[in-house]
Amino acid sequence: MTEFSIIGKPIAMVDAAGKTTGAGKYTDDLCLPGMLVGKILHSAYPHARIKRIDTSRAEKLDGVVAVVTGKDAPTPYGILPVGHDEHALALDKVRYVGDNLACVAAVSEDIAEKALELIDVEYELLPAYFDPEGSMKAETDLIHDNKPHNIEKDYHHVFGDPDKALAEADYVAEGRFIANEVTHAAMEPHSALASFELDPHTGKLGRLTVWSSTQVPYYLQHKLSLVLEMPMAQIRVIKPLVGGGFGGKSEVIPLEIIAAIAARAARAPVKITYNREEVFWAHRGRPRTIIDLQTGVKKDGVINAVKARVVQDGGAYCSYGVVTILYSGALLGALYDISDIAYDGYRVLTNKPACGAMRGHGTVNVRFAFESQLDEIAAKLNLDPAEIRRRNLLKPPCITINGLRVQSYGLPECIDQVVERSKWKERKGKLPRGRGLGIGCSHYVSGAANSIIRSDMPHSTVNIKIDRDGGVIVYTGAAEIGQGSDTMTAQIAAETLGCSLARLKVVAADTDLTPIDIGSYSSRVTFMAGNATLRAAEEVKKQIASAAARKMKCPPDELVFRDDEVYRRDLGGEGARATHSEASASGRVEGQILRGSLQQKRKDEGPKDWMTFEEAVVAAIDFHGALTGTGSYAPPPEARGGKHKGAGVGPSPAYSYAAQVAEVSVDEETGEVTVHKVWAAHDCGRALNPVSVDGQIIGSVWMGLGQALEEEMVWKDGMLMNPGLLEYRSPSAIESPEVEPIIVESIDPEGPFGAKECSEGSLAATIPAIANAIHDAVGIRLRECPFTPERVLTALRAQNKAKPINLTEGVDPTAPTRFREHGGALWFRGKGPERHPLDPARQKATAEIGGDD
Amino acid sequence: MSLPEFKLLLRPRTVEEAVGLLAKHANNIRVLAGGTDLIPSMRQKLFEPQYVLDIRHISELKGVHPRPGTGVEIGALTTHTTLERSDLLRQRYPVLTEAAGTVASPLLRNMGTIGGNICLDTRCLWYNQSLTWRKACGFCIKKDGDLCHVAPGGTKCWAAFSGDTPPALLCLNAEIEIASPSGMRRVPLREFYTGIGDSYRKLQADELLTRVFLPDTSAYYHGIYRKLRIRGSIDYPLAGVAVVLKRSNGHVADARLAITAVNPAPILIVGATQMLAGKVIDESLADAVGDLAAKTAKPLTTSALTPEYRREMIRVFTKRAVLAVANNESLVRH
Repeated sequence: MTEFSIIGKPIAMVDAAGKTTGAGKYTDDLCLPGMLVGKILHSAYPHARIKRIDTSRAEKLDGVVAVVTGKDAPTPYGILPVGHDEHALALDKVRYVGDNLACVAAVSEDIAEKALELIDVEYELLPAYFDPEGSMKAETDLIHDNKPHNIEKDYHHVFGDPDKALAEADYVAEGRFIANEVTHAAMEPHSALASFELDPHTGKLGRLTVWSSTQVPYYLQHKLSLVLEMPMAQIRVIKPLVGGGFGGKSEVIPLEIIAAIAARAARAPVKITYNREEVFWAHRGRPRTIIDLQTGVKKDGVINAVKARVVQDGGAYCSYGVVTILYSGALLGALYDISDIAYDGYRVLTNKPACGAMRGHGTVNVRFAFESQLDEIAAKLNLDPAEIRRRNLLKPPCITINGLRVQSYGLPECIDQVVERSKWKERKGKLPRGRGLGIGCSHYVSGAANSIIRSDMPHSTVNIKIDRDGGVIVYTGAAEIGQGSDTMTAQIAAETLGCSLARLKVVAADTDLTPIDIGSYSSRVTFMAGNATLRAAEEVKKQIASAAARKMKCPPDELVFRDDEVYRRDLGGEGARATHSEASASGRVEGQILRGSLQQKRKDEGPKDWMTFEEAVVAAIDFHGALTGTGSYAPPPEARGGKHKGAGVGPSPAYSYAAQVAEVSVDEETGEVTVHKVWAAHDCGRALNPVSVDGQIIGSVWMGLGQALEEEMVWKDGMLMNPGLLEYRSPSAIESPEVEPIIVESIDPEGPFGAKECSEGSLAATIPAIANAIHDAVGIRLRECPFTPERVLTALRAQNKAKPINLTEGVDPTAPTRFREHGGALWFRGKGPERHPLDPARQKATAEIGGDD
Repeated sequence: MSLPEFKLLLRPRTVEEAVGLLAKHANNIRVLAGGTDLIPSMRQKLFEPQYVLDIRHISELKGVHPRPGTGVEIGALTTHTTLERSDLLRQRYPVLTEAAGTVASPLLRNMGTIGGNICLDTRCLWYNQSLTWRKACGFCIKKDGDLCHVAPGGTKCWAAFSGDTPPALLCLNAEIEIASPSGMRRVPLREFYTGIGDSYRKLQADELLTRVFLPDTSAYYHGIYRKLRIRGSIDYPLAGVAVVLKRSNGHVADARLAITAVNPAPILIVGATQMLAGKVIDESLADAVGDLAAKTAKPLTTSALTPEYRREMIRVFTKRAVLAVANNESLVRH
């Protein structure tokens, strides 16, 4: 008999049928009687003061029920307590093209859209900032008055003595890396439906219910309470099925609050669903990041110091920005053994949509730089790139110089696995020109050890209720967003209680029904909600065991719970299964109430060696009364990090590890890169559901591939040039390579059944693995992603010292003499639409604003 | 984004009926065939017609039909999937099979038609955007405005023609049939385009493109279409090259080359025919043809990737296509 009956088995997601047949309900599928459609008016200017908003013409339009503006909800909010800088609808200023100004609630979408045209807004235009390095020089017309030089936050960390260590290094590599801005592009656009109940006594608006495509129902409830000035207990947030989050729904998105404000004004339910362009404006994606990186090594490849200066183009609001810039520094540690680290991080405000959390939050871009530079160093020292990584491994259990506690560490095996499977030793550097192999490693937290809202509350709580019907209901606040959290919860509860999955129902993410869980972000759910589920199930199991043991006349710890049966350990369950096989043949019977006569018969039989799960449950309820259990999880104090300013971000109870090898070919005439295969090893502690882990690894590689080769948000003076999925290019099936997922199980001492995270850590390895493979193929080092064909071709031409392409050669004389040029690639340079005389793009002195470096 | 309100969806069953309706509502009507371009554009308020003429039920305009002695006739409503799967075209006009197979994605090819691809609206990053976006940026000459964001100070629209099949059709010397209230007329496809982004085709408001004719004289040419795009599917071309060629005794008997997505019109490069005729194709000849094509291309910042790069790809793709077609390589399996 194997150790587990449900854990470690490939199990279909418990919500798969609804999603695959279309029967499942997402927020936009919901409909309430009398429901109105909300449409939002967005700013046409990147930076302007609002002098006047006149909604009177819109209000008069037939079919319009209410029009709301900033003054209907003037309280600022933000996901971080230090970043309460947003208004759901702008109060005095707009800060990016697409910022929210007003919302119309009307009986139909086209009437609402028509009404938007009737809202008159008078702006006073302000100079706008589009480039972070230019924005940092700003003295006047700041984006937020309390943020001098438009710097949201800067951190300067020094651990050890990096200057001394660099001076002692045998070789110091130095370089600037740029990772351009990307967004989540989740399939489901954000959607929210808000509805007030009437107070039965006063007839006034009472309780509020919001259905939303959110990763964080509890935070949403919290912020709604703040902005609507209602007690949290009066607000219920329900999360229906969510069609992907990736971080884009991990904070309160304006439409959620706007829907509530509009519903309050209209006294009717209001639903708002973003169109794709609005999703791009809501954004909260990965910021464009400029990384100046220095790595010092000894001759043998051992890293002795790292210095990094990171500038992130954060957009107009704080969002998760302070956390992002801290992760970028903190996660320089905990992958390799680095004794001296200097980190200068700048989160800068610009007049663009706010960046926030995105899969691999904070670490991906810096990891691209680091792993690329490590490859350069290996080449310089004539070392195998896999070997240089092996020489810098941590020796866990340990606490890194910047205070991160590492216990389980599967990185060495991840490296060994991908090296072996890709036939690295035989093939690396030996493939024909144009084809190459590259390696990259990465890691990520299994949830943050410190929650956003500093408090002693548990990060996850789970309740379990079992009744005489033998049905097990698990109540969890954890948000299923497609990652499999409901399935994970069911598996852990079923394994612990020894019952079948069919017996289990997970009720999740409904703040009226489920206990608090802080949400699905930073890969925390398996570790934290999983541990809480485990504890809740163990508590219930203890109650069942004590009652069953009385009946079976043995100590409770002699009992085994497995396969819907409770039996004495010394019997091994063999007798039980033989006599019970008939009933279990039709699985449904087991989940139902035992017939009274059958129950009585079994009771009369006296002491026994085994009981069915129902019998044990009935015995427990007869003995204890109600059968419920609760469990919660808070990360242990030892895992919560150091004492320095900003030390709260980065610590995690456990880290996942990943190593990848990519095989690519490069067309040297066109610069096109084809990824043929990626071997991706991921240490997830224990794979609770291997098929789900495989899916997460493949998905991470695929998303990394997008950022490496194709995806980039292109800006032109504050206008997003590609606000749709036609021009913002996520990879299609055609260019998606074969991915070989390799699960490495390091069995974490604190994870539920030893599990850690598996959905984010792999992404960061893909980009440098591809960059390094391109270098292996054609000898060029790409320091800016995505590696579009023209960036590759430009680097190839520079390498060959080939003649640059002349744009105007042989051009038709009727063509314009002055072209609007692009910069390095998709990034535009030059003048923009002549929007306003104060627009810095029009001023010569600051001509580089909005351009490349 | 909702569709703009339109008065009526008209559903004619015959060409005569369709043309009659077009004439009646001229200037206030848009034709719906596959709808793959029209519907998103209507949502973006690029077209706000009062009437929509749904021609999908004119059955005489569907299918690929051999016309013995003259060539092959293709109805304007024939989908790209049908073109891609037609054995007749694969044998006689492989360049068209290949081009049709690269259009957008399988789902869109099931909907999109050859007539729609020929009439495809020219595209520009500053134009194919929502009303909200265009309002924020400032309208351009192609729609609602009086300036060009691509060529500031210019008064000509440079929106790029981004169809995949027209360069192949140009190589095949295709003719098109246009129905109007005064009757049918046939024009060579190469005379259909104006080269000006905002009035890119010669089709009056009361006229309907009905059929495409491929002459027998162009049959059995080797052909290749090469398309620059970032994704392997879905994308419009960022540059495209079609080449057809016929050999006799190892020499080029006849060849034609056309490019797309880098000018406001697909362009047949006449000089290439003279350059190739009678020659044996080698690397340097292919290079020279590539240079000629690159000189003809005038890519601007109407789409992703830089103009420099797209022009360079016209050169590289042309060279490769010429060499490949000379070696009788093709993506299409015969």
